Amino acid sequence: MEVSVIRSSSQAKISKTELGCRDLRFCFGKSNDKNKIFSRKPNSVCFDSQISRFRKAGLRFTLKAVHSDPILESKSPATSKSLDRLRLFVGLPLDAVSDGNSVNHARAIGAGLKALKLLGVEGVELPVWWGVVENEMGKYDWSGYLAVAEMVQKAGLKLHVSLCFHASSQPRIPLPKWVTKIGESQSSIFFADRSGQHYQQCLSLAVDDLAVLDGKTPVQVYQGFCESFKSTFSPFIGSTITGISMGLGPDGELRYPSHHKPAKSGTITGVGEFQCYDTNMLNLLKQYAEANGNPLWGLGGPHDAPTYDQAPNLNSFFKDHGGSWESPYGDFFLSWYSSELVSHGNRLLSLASSIFGDTEVNVYGKVPLMHSWYKTRAHPSELTAGFYNTASRNGYEAVAEMFARNSCKIILPGMDLSDEHQPHDSLSSPESLLAQIRTTCNKHRVEVAGQNLASGAPGGLEQIKKNMLGENPIDLFTYQRMGAHFFSPEHFPSFTEFVRSLSQPELHPDDLPSDEAEATESVQTSSDPNIHLQTA
Amino acid sequence: MAAVTIDSLLQNPTLLFRPKAKVLLKPPRSLDCSRNRKLPLSRGSCLCSFNPRRTIHVVRASSSETALIGNFDISSSDDILYKDIFPVKRIEKGKFFIRLDRSKDQHDWQFTVGCSLPGKWILHWGVSYLGDSGSEWDQPPKGMRPPGSIPIKDYAIETPLKKLSEGDIFHEVKIDFNPISEIAAIHFVLKDEETGAWYQHRGMDFKVPLVDYLEDDGNIVGAKRGFGVWSGALQQFSNVLLKSEASHADSQNNSIESKDSKNKNRCLEGFYEEQSIVKEVSVGNLVSVAVRKSPETGKVVVCLETDIPGDVVVHWGVCRDDAKIWKIPAAPYPPETTVFKNKALRTLLQPKATGNRSGALFTLDEEHFGFLFVLKLDDNTWLKFKENDFYVPLLGTSSVPGQYGQSDSTSEEISSKSYTDGIINEIRNLVSGLSSEKSLKTKKKEVQESILQEIEQLAAEAYSIFRSSITTVPDEVVSETETTKPAVKISSGTGTGFEILCQGFNWESHKSRRWYMELKEKASEISSLGFTVIWLPPPTESVSPEGYMPKDLYNLNSRYGTIDELKELVKSLHEVGMKVLGDVVLNHRCAHFKNQNGVWNIFGGRLNWDDRAVVADDPHFQGRGNKSSGDNFHAAPNIDHSQEFVRKDLKEWLGWLREEIGYDGWRLDFVRGFWGGYVKDYLEASGPYFAVGEYWDSLSYTYGEMDHNQDSHRQRIVDWINATNGTAGAFDVTTKGILHSALERCEYWRLSDQKGKPPGVVGWWPSRAVTFIENHDTGSTQGHWRFPGGKEMQGYAYILTHPGTPAVFYDHIFSHHRSEIASLISVRNRNGIHCRSLVKIVKAERDVYAAIIDEKVAMKIGPGYYEPPSGSQRWSLALEGRDYKVWETS
Repeated sequence: MEVSVIRSSSQAKISKTELGCRDLRFCFGKSNDKNKIFSRKPNSVCFDSQISRFRKAGLRFTLKAVHSDPILESKSPATSKSLDRLRLFVGLPLDAVSDGNSVNHARAIGAGLKALKLLGVEGVELPVWWGVVENEMGKYDWSGYLAVAEMVQKAGLKLHVSLCFHASSQPRIPLPKWVTKIGESQSSIFFADRSGQHYQQCLSLAVDDLAVLDGKTPVQVYQGFCESFKSTFSPFIGSTITGISMGLGPDGELRYPSHHKPAKSGTITGVGEFQCYDTNMLNLLKQYAEANGNPLWGLGGPHDAPTYDQAPNLNSFFKDHGGSWESPYGDFFLSWYSSELVSHGNRLLSLASSIFGDTEVNVYGKVPLMHSWYKTRAHPSELTAGFYNTASRNGYEAVAEMFARNSCKIILPGMDLSDEHQPHDSLSSPESLLAQIRTTCNKHRVEVAGQNLASGAPGGLEQIKKNMLGENPIDLFTYQRMGAHFFSPEHFPSFTEFVRSLSQPELHPDDLPSDEAEATESVQTSSDPNIHLQTA
Repeated sequence: MAAVTIDSLLQNPTLLFRPKAKVLLKPPRSLDCSRNRKLPLSRGSCLCSFNPRRTIHVVRASSSETALIGNFDISSSDDILYKDIFPVKRIEKGKFFIRLDRSKDQHDWQFTVGCSLPGKWILHWGVSYLGDSGSEWDQPPKGMRPPGSIPIKDYAIETPLKKLSEGDIFHEVKIDFNPISEIAAIHFVLKDEETGAWYQHRGMDFKVPLVDYLEDDGNIVGAKRGFGVWSGALQQFSNVLLKSEASHADSQNNSIESKDSKNKNRCLEGFYEEQSIVKEVSVGNLVSVAVRKSPETGKVVVCLETDIPGDVVVHWGVCRDDAKIWKIPAAPYPPETTVFKNKALRTLLQPKATGNRSGALFTLDEEHFGFLFVLKLDDNTWLKFKENDFYVPLLGTSSVPGQYGQSDSTSEEISSKSYTDGIINEIRNLVSGLSSEKSLKTKKKEVQESILQEIEQLAAEAYSIFRSSITTVPDEVVSETETTKPAVKISSGTGTGFEILCQGFNWESHKSRRWYMELKEKASEISSLGFTVIWLPPPTESVSPEGYMPKDLYNLNSRYGTIDELKELVKSLHEVGMKVLGDVVLNHRCAHFKNQNGVWNIFGGRLNWDDRAVVADDPHFQGRGNKSSGDNFHAAPNIDHSQEFVRKDLKEWLGWLREEIGYDGWRLDFVRGFWGGYVKDYLEASGPYFAVGEYWDSLSYTYGEMDHNQDSHRQRIVDWINATNGTAGAFDVTTKGILHSALERCEYWRLSDQKGKPPGVVGWWPSRAVTFIENHDTGSTQGHWRFPGGKEMQGYAYILTHPGTPAVFYDHIFSHHRSEIASLISVRNRNGIHCRSLVKIVKAERDVYAAIIDEKVAMKIGPGYYEPPSGSQRWSLALEGRDYKVWETS
């Protein structure tokens, strides 16, 4: 039979953590040695052993704290000042609310919310789908989402809402039926690639201001959606709801659907394709070419670009040396292609900030991390996605500037990716790209929030921590995403440890005085200088 | 009740080490003969354990140092190279009770919890309301909270237990409540502020239902759960509250009896239940050990001292290496030393001039690796280091003065290795040793620990729901796994080949009399850990409560529950996707009647066989059948399987069990007792999904040391499987035995046979080997052949990554090993390791064993170093634990 006597833990020295304490926030000290202690073993595999590790850590901690006491003391005022506040969010399941506005696995979410709260997580992210809410044009049913918001509020957590104007294939959440129906007769509302294949998961940015939806423009429809959201959720906005992400394109991200399959970590992705072949995009291109005095350039996209899954050098457009991207035509096309994306982003974000600007919520937009082929000169993946970012040109300037103009913040996914774990031949570098975007954002004073691509990437949690606690710490991170894997024995313990390792440093300045008293009692021989050397 | 005696014991601290104490040195027991019988072990009421308070490796002791341990007979402390002080702990036993009754005005009810042990007892409690789901607590309404209650967050209350008057034995707390309120149950745990210990129910709260039905996780237990049942529900705590080793106080039997009468009285108005409780208290006695080097002689001197009163005998020896085999050192010995059975020395500690201390000095040659000892207080009381020998490293002492730093680091390394028990315990104890000084801090830590536990529970709940609601698996994943899985062909010897077995009970499970219902609650949890097959205890009426002495095979009301409860359990297990094995005892059967000579060999019930069904070669039972086709089990009449009518009846019975109960397969008890060919017959007739036989005999030893080559042992098991024509698997006893030696003695080379294959059955016939490290006989409270303590996870890291069908013991699943086991299982499943997976042993050396399985998973066990090769495959660490690591290809 099991023994049920549970000893008090040895976390004597971290008692200030008080995990369950309602207003625990994560704060970080900079490069403080305790970080190391608490993160000694990444990828802990189980709850118990993890707890034991804390114990172990706690013990060591004691000794350290005792022996290095004088030093720490002198340091502590500075440390407490440099503490930055980090808010950790966890994404709710994509299909938390789906068909018929019912809340799926409500009990699991309820238990999950409680666990997260106890763990000290700040809040959760809730994807709100256009296709779930607006089943009839102009008629909104928010009931399922209201129920979730109430659960979140009751759990004492914050809520970050992602407004999704796109569709999801896994789990399957389509666009509103009436939109799909319009699309059936009028496929030009969707993006098209060179072969004429349409991408039906979101509307083409070229129709933003065209009255293609029963007499309304998509921007007007989005506006109605956002306003209805605002009025419906007004009791939550500013209190429970602290942030809103505006859906900007495929997967909510500001980009063209240049890759039809989502990039998988660990596999080599092709360069993707330009998506400028629907009639409306071609019209825009034509106008632009004529206005620039090169009407012949406005007849179509680059003829020499590879297809989706091909490597850059399979055709001449992206070649490192002498590729068409560096030609005047290339510059013409890429400038236009990328500026259309930025303008689209500007339309939606200015809409969002005009609606939510008078509330206390922050408005965010998500910018993808197109890290494949970053080490080539042309950066083909970024180019096809709409970011004119090459070895010789910083394409994120315009993007960051646009976000700054609308006082919006950027969400960057892929903070869990490290170069080390990318396939050797992919010439990809998520870390460098991330650094570039973040530097650019800093320059334009655009705040960056983080997100991971998928839970379970090798070394992901470590990488996230690195990104969060580095020289340029971020203030909000959304961890994706709650579900079976998230709570599974192979994942949840390491997540718990991750969260706790983030929160740990907070304790140290306050904790020291009482540690001292105890520790001298327990290690009475600590006056011996040699012991000091060994244990410290 | 025994608890009463203990009370008096507690009031007489001088009786601390009275001869009733538990025998910690278990006599070696043969494995074969006693397996189905519980041995009457002498269990006492007092148990002492040592814990290292701290280990200080002093290089040059300062004056304060000398003052602290000035009681050592050391003039110059310059040469002290090792020093340990072990506090002695006493385990106090008492009782705690729960009572529910009407308060005086007859309207309200009163719920009372009391505890007889001294301490600062706190009831940490909450309630759940009607219609609540899950295991969450809510705060009780204000009116229910006794004075002095403190709210803890928004879901619990802490109320201190108080003595009603000074003369009272019990600290108690009374809670009044209105029975027509919305409250469905009271939940609580008890904690002791003094020691920081929590008393819980298997890591969960105690739940006292106040209404006739409770909706629990969607399983309506319905009308069965009225007032009357929950005294039974409480019964299960007794096993829990008592520490497993010390649990066999007589009180248990008594309370079982008392419970019986209660269960009959279903419409009970109130109830009163008493349970035993144990508490570890530091008694203030210490054992100190120091090692110094004598500058004059160059010899090593071990000083041992204690303030334990009375005569203390040191039972000691030295060892030459890490394996810690006891050897007798050369003379001289201290005075009052005798040689004990050529294995160890015994020295009576001499009283010191100052105070009530006693001690001894042991002078040893410097080549010894370590000093081993246990303390003997009287004939029955031994003090050990957490079930192990005390171990003092000596090696560091041989270094020349001036190299202090170096020598010190050596001794630290050795000493850290020497603590075979988990670091967790070590630190727990260390802290609990300090805890009285800082109860305030402790409280916060407790809160934290309980929160961590709660988080874990919530996560497990969320996981099981999310997991069950996954209907579609992403396409990519499906295609990946599809390619790796060979075509699944189910045969009773292997199941699908991807089975992972859970032994769903232990030796104590019968005690609650509602094991089936208890296990049912855990069904989804067990399934969510990744188990596919569960082995249930023997279901038939039995002379022994554990079920291994069956009598009427068709009477399935046993100490584990009724036949209806069994069916319900099987149904629930099927609902969560598990296959269920029935434990069938075919070798022997207890008789109902005596024959004309007064010998018990006539059976009753539906299978009313006579003495022709009993084998002829056991004179005790005067059977008139043929000679046994196997070994005899001497405690009951062995069934003669050569009789046509017996076989026909047994086949019919197995078929009935399949039909009626829904069992999917069998765990066959004691198959050494009859020919495997009969088993084949039975299996073909009953068509199980999976079957495994217990063929357990002794491994080969030479001069007390296990032979490296255990081929003859595994050959016998393989022969049996062969006789069943491969229709059944068999427990891989060989592997367990070899793991014992390899882990216990740090002889990991044993894990490869002469041909570089695994040395157990799993190396020869992996698909039929059911690997395990512990079961209800070897471990649990019987402990006939317990797996080396603290090394269980190494064992699981081996069997759960290797081919064969791994079986995990219940006690390990519901222990601190649980999540590590779960992780190992998920690595196994993720990588599609199955019973025929290929294993390539890459290292089998003294201190490390490493293997690569199916080129997808790499593992190592042992303290030595191993990393998988960085070649074409990219390995990433999947998990690691104490002395094991597992990698998978990324």
